[in-house]
Amino acid sequence: MKLSPNDIIIQDKMKPGILTSDGFLGTDKRTFRDIIAEDMKVVNTLPRSLEEIATRMTYFMEKSFLSYDGSIIIDKHYEVEYKSYRGILLSPFPKAGRFGKATIRVTNNKNNSTVTWTPLQVHFIRDHAFFEGKGSKFRLEPEVLHKTLFD
Amino acid sequence: MDYSKILYEILILTSISAVLSLLIVVAKAVLQNYGDCEIDINGKRKVVVKGGSSLLTSLADENIFIPSACGGRGTCGACKCIVTDGGGPVLPTEKPFFTAKELAENNRLACQVKVKNNIRIEIPEEIFNIRKFKAKVAKIEDYTYDIKGVSFDLLEPKAIDFKAGQYVQIRSPRYGKIRETVTRAYSISSKPSNKELQLIIRKVPDGICTTWVHDFLKLGQEVEITGPYGDFFIRDTQADIIFVAGGSGKAPIKSMLEDLQEKGSKRKMSYFFGAKTTKDLYLTEYIESFSKVFPDFTYYPILSHSVPEDNWQGRTGWLMPFFPDAIRDPKNTEAYLCGSPGMIAAITKSLTGLGIPEDKIYYDSF
Repeated sequence: MKLSPNDIIIQDKMKPGILTSDGFLGTDKRTFRDIIAEDMKVVNTLPRSLEEIATRMTYFMEKSFLSYDGSIIIDKHYEVEYKSYRGILLSPFPKAGRFGKATIRVTNNKNNSTVTWTPLQVHFIRDHAFFEGKGSKFRLEPEVLHKTLFD
Repeated sequence: MDYSKILYEILILTSISAVLSLLIVVAKAVLQNYGDCEIDINGKRKVVVKGGSSLLTSLADENIFIPSACGGRGTCGACKCIVTDGGGPVLPTEKPFFTAKELAENNRLACQVKVKNNIRIEIPEEIFNIRKFKAKVAKIEDYTYDIKGVSFDLLEPKAIDFKAGQYVQIRSPRYGKIRETVTRAYSISSKPSNKELQLIIRKVPDGICTTWVHDFLKLGQEVEITGPYGDFFIRDTQADIIFVAGGSGKAPIKSMLEDLQEKGSKRKMSYFFGAKTTKDLYLTEYIESFSKVFPDFTYYPILSHSVPEDNWQGRTGWLMPFFPDAIRDPKNTEAYLCGSPGMIAAITKSLTGLGIPEDKIYYDSF
């Protein structure tokens, strides 16, 4: 997919060393638009929308605040670990605001699947359907994310 | 083919380009020469700067350092100040960082305001105390698998005047694949009277500055530090104190405890530290030793997910259920919290529910 001039700026900001050490594209050679397009094909096969997935991620994140840098069992079989770090992270997408530096690790003890995300990624998924490039440290596979959050 | 004609045309084109470039340079020098501009700060202090630079840079050149985490790129929103006159129109790059009320109150980002004429600004008085320091790494200690204590000798100036609980900013250089310098904030963990300045820094996964600190910073290396910043410090009262922290949030609390010790405080203090397993605990014996220093001090390290191999005999679960043990008179209790905004909101809700007034809850929100 051809990138617009604005997309080129976004793509550049996703590269290593700009906003984060490793960037958001990993080893993926595709543009972020192509990554989004491919992932949307998978998302469209899932029973829930991007908005529902992002809302569920926010639900676990907010519940995990109670653990104060520890872990917490939510709804009987979800173990959620929240780790906070000093500072804020910016989105490569324009006008997106600032996001706290944290990692949220959710393990679904019913099916033993685990995913880890950052607050920035909730915005990525909700607003841009961006799950990051293959090989990225925080790449989320849509079907694994869905399986962990909802099964 | 007439090569001389081709060469002649290339020469003509090159000459036209050179003349145009020269015209642009001259026009820029003449039209963008704003001359000397006066910056009136709080109606108390005036500095004269050469116009044309950003307000953030112009003030830094005068050794007035407004906090900035992105180095003036207009992306962090940390350099907020009030510009009452001469700031020009608010730029689209600034608007996302402000509410309508803040914009109406003339809030601006100092990095986005260009000094083109005389300008009037309002900044907190504490900013005048912020200095740029040249420092040298004196000690690096591993506290946990992802937390280090880093101590610095201050070279120039040789001392920093700060209140326990405040933070400084470090500038990391270009390294490896990192193409730009970045500036990041870390709480001071040593007491104000200490000769060395110590920071406690947790490695952020994929973080630019913390990766540099953890993986590249060497003993003896020189770094640039600015500070002190922040309004998180112990209020000078006799009220009971509750501290709450997790992870690297221990840094400002350690500084506060050491400072209170030096001041001979007799206040009742309770310190709640949240962690997942024993691997996340550090400086435990040191913090517990304050129970021998203060007449009434209790340290509550609480593990949320103790595993059998931890052989943990202490408290487990969430922090909140243990708060009532520490509160004898909620109206006469102050709380000092350090953590993410979400965590602070959760703790604040719990403490106010136990009767501690909200205006006595102070926090360092990451």
